[in-house]
Amino acid sequence: MKKIWYVALIFILVLIALKIFINADIPELEVKNTLGGNLTSKEVKFPPKAKTVTIDGVDYLQSQAQVGRFGGVLVASTIGEGPKTFNPFNTKDATSATMAEMMFDGLVSSRPDTGEVIPKLAKNFEISPDGKTYTFHLRHGIKWSDGKPITADDVVFSWNKILLAGLGNTSTRDSVIIEGQLPKVEKVDDYTVKFTTIKPFAPFLRILGAPIAPKHVFEPAVKKGAKYFDSFWSTTTPPKNFVTSGAFKLKEYVPAQRIVFERNPNYYEINLKNEKLPYLDKIIYLIVGDLNNEILKFEAGEIDTIGLRGSNVGRYKKKEAKSDYTIYNIGPDTGTMFVAINLNSRKDAQGKYYVNPKKQAWFNDKNFRYAIDLALDRQNMVNNIANGLASPLFTSESLNSIYLNKKLTKGHPKDINKAKYYLKKSGFYWKNKVLYDKKGNRVEFDLYTNAGNTEREAIGVMVKQDLEDLGMKVNFKPVEFNSLVNKLVNSLDWDLVIMGLTGSPLEPHNGQNVWYSTGSLHLFNQRPDGKPTKRLPWEVQLDKIIDEASLKITFQDRKKLYDQYQQIIYDEKPIIYLYSPTRVTAIRKKFGNIFPSPLAGVAYNLDEIFIK
Amino acid sequence: MNILIYILKRILQTIPLLILVSLISFFIIRLSPVDPLAELKLNPSISKETLQKETQRLGLDKPIYVQYFLWAKAFVQGDLGVCSTGESVAAKLKERIPNTLLLTVIVIFLTWIIGVPLGILAAIRWKTPLDRMLTVLTSIGMAIPSFFFAILLLIFAVKTGWFPVGGLTSYNFNDMNLAAKIWDLTRHLVLPTTVLFTISLAGLQRQMRANLLDVLESDYVKFARAKGLSEFKVIYKHALRNAINPMITMLGFEFASLLSGAALTEYVFQYPGLGRLVLEAVLKSDINLVMASLMMGAVMLIAGNLIADILLIITDPRIRVKGG
Repeated sequence: MKKIWYVALIFILVLIALKIFINADIPELEVKNTLGGNLTSKEVKFPPKAKTVTIDGVDYLQSQAQVGRFGGVLVASTIGEGPKTFNPFNTKDATSATMAEMMFDGLVSSRPDTGEVIPKLAKNFEISPDGKTYTFHLRHGIKWSDGKPITADDVVFSWNKILLAGLGNTSTRDSVIIEGQLPKVEKVDDYTVKFTTIKPFAPFLRILGAPIAPKHVFEPAVKKGAKYFDSFWSTTTPPKNFVTSGAFKLKEYVPAQRIVFERNPNYYEINLKNEKLPYLDKIIYLIVGDLNNEILKFEAGEIDTIGLRGSNVGRYKKKEAKSDYTIYNIGPDTGTMFVAINLNSRKDAQGKYYVNPKKQAWFNDKNFRYAIDLALDRQNMVNNIANGLASPLFTSESLNSIYLNKKLTKGHPKDINKAKYYLKKSGFYWKNKVLYDKKGNRVEFDLYTNAGNTEREAIGVMVKQDLEDLGMKVNFKPVEFNSLVNKLVNSLDWDLVIMGLTGSPLEPHNGQNVWYSTGSLHLFNQRPDGKPTKRLPWEVQLDKIIDEASLKITFQDRKKLYDQYQQIIYDEKPIIYLYSPTRVTAIRKKFGNIFPSPLAGVAYNLDEIFIK
Repeated sequence: MNILIYILKRILQTIPLLILVSLISFFIIRLSPVDPLAELKLNPSISKETLQKETQRLGLDKPIYVQYFLWAKAFVQGDLGVCSTGESVAAKLKERIPNTLLLTVIVIFLTWIIGVPLGILAAIRWKTPLDRMLTVLTSIGMAIPSFFFAILLLIFAVKTGWFPVGGLTSYNFNDMNLAAKIWDLTRHLVLPTTVLFTISLAGLQRQMRANLLDVLESDYVKFARAKGLSEFKVIYKHALRNAINPMITMLGFEFASLLSGAALTEYVFQYPGLGRLVLEAVLKSDINLVMASLMMGAVMLIAGNLIADILLIITDPRIRVKGG
């Protein structure tokens, strides 16, 4: 009898403990549904474009944002293992790139509101009327963090000896090869550099935002060869060796804990009172292992800004009124969630088809793809999976892209009858609500995604349900991320896959690895040998448009072509787009000069942000 | 002299064992479908040429057995190789080992200094309310999963604000004076230590209690009592000495867990130790790093057992007689 009392006592203790912890942690569901409307932030007033002001022979960049107070720290976070290198030319992952880009400015950058290319490290630039020559005038008198002047030699060296020489991550080099030729980079005088491409190449101007390295520091490393360069300025390099041009420079890197940047006293930007920016003394990135830990750290006040998703937004929104942070809805982000269909009709080295010929017939049938598209209920996914924090997507360009084809954004609702109509048109028929093709084969295929990604797994379940309404049998198989990549890139033995990729809102040409017929990520019709064989008619068209659009210079000309390209993808549907998540960011109210932008995010102008 | 030969023999025995361990782990890692370049392959901005360069740099273009021999050759020469990011594995391990040791040494010290006396106490006061209470507490300690307990404590830290949420040092650690540094470290260490302490304390206390109870039942203790020795002398001079043997074996295992025992807790608390490093390495199939840590784990286990055996030889005359 006594034992029972002990057990009861412990049970009650546990219950009390749970009650204490869980209290106030369950979001109220009603909040979630009204979020979309509530969150749309007030109209953001961006400061005018930064000007160049010459004081004592130095061409400073003058920020036109409100004058703030100096001092203070901003603590942000990065999820994962932290940077793998601080060498801006070696970065291959987002975290390393963010950290390296903090420290290095490029010749140009983009305006956060319009996406327009504006001079940064350069004072100004001209493009010749034939669109092939870019002349950059550098700022006089600006310095590296160690006090040496930044000159044309640094620019020419960075391009000719590093970027175009194929050191480190060669993706920049590979993207500027036009008809097998690299652009030419020449020094005109100490403060003028000329870039020449053999044909006008539109994406080139933005690519010129690539970091510029200090020649006097990088030259010895470059001379030691590619292998040495790979480990140059790694995470074990003492921070005092870093010589940078950006607003901040590395102060300390503690593996698995944090990265600390301090202000670069030689930075060339000033405020309206001609005081040297940046305002903040330090920027700190805490390295956190996962989302949950990041949220806890934000709640404990250890970090100042956080990207929110899904159910958390509801909880935070509820608390916002009484809290010290503001939540910004920056609109749809560059991420796209989609279902890709494997149109591959090739055989592997052993003479076996990558895709079963019976399935090939379905997947290559446009009506079949239309039926899938029409059967999917995107709004339902947005409401139930993304908690309303997403927008249905029908285009290959993300919704915040400046090249978005606005005619296609409305898309169409789920229409099961129309879907059935398309299937019937191709000779599919139903027997006991089960779908058969005209040869009498039962329609059954696999749907893959990467296991562990709860969002994609949820989408998978919904896609499966929607398609089963059509009588198809869908075997939904979440597999381990690495196995999935192997399937998509090497073994090519998949049917349908749910994936997400991030694009660029400013430069559609970056998507060419996916859309060009020989691209390395041409998922839906991957050519393992990289040769443009057996191109489908619309693939030929896409290739042509991508080539043409890259050679056009004006926005209007390019927009026309990219509209056409989105239209083709919309018509052919090798990839069926589902939705774009909405980006929601919370940042503490104490910071000034915050101008949230769909193109750049919230805390991108670290040089101008200050503590009120 | 005999002991030395014994030690030498044991060390020689470990060599085939290590080879076997390395072979099995290497092939399991490499034959698993984990592709170290998977992330890069799905990044639209990474070109084919970059991918090829990476494949060559990581040696993935060679057959598995060649990869193994290259690794083994370097390992024997004392070179642990570079990890997938190009940093030296030895340097990476070196920056994490002190952190993990700091945590595990504190935990082991605390558990032994508290667990053993509590075990003795419980055995002496067998079946009294004190013993029962300790039993309930240690049962809870044994039953609670470490990650769950760790998460509860993290939430506790967030709600109260008394402790930092994970990590080892605050961001301004390097600008602090010594006293503030120690205070900062202590604040960060309290929660992970609590988790690990609670869990290992339970096992140790139960073990000690059971050992001593066993011994207390034996004839020579009864005899000692009958002889009229004081209870203090019976327990501390006769019973305890014989009850301590299994504890020494346990100490050997504790030695092995010095570097690898706290992985789960480290992960939840974002503690910058070995556990987190190795877990991330496994997920990425960062072969050199994973192999180095596996080999280290194997060596530590073997060494721990060896130390325990040697200690036993020293403390227990019976083993000495048999061995001699």
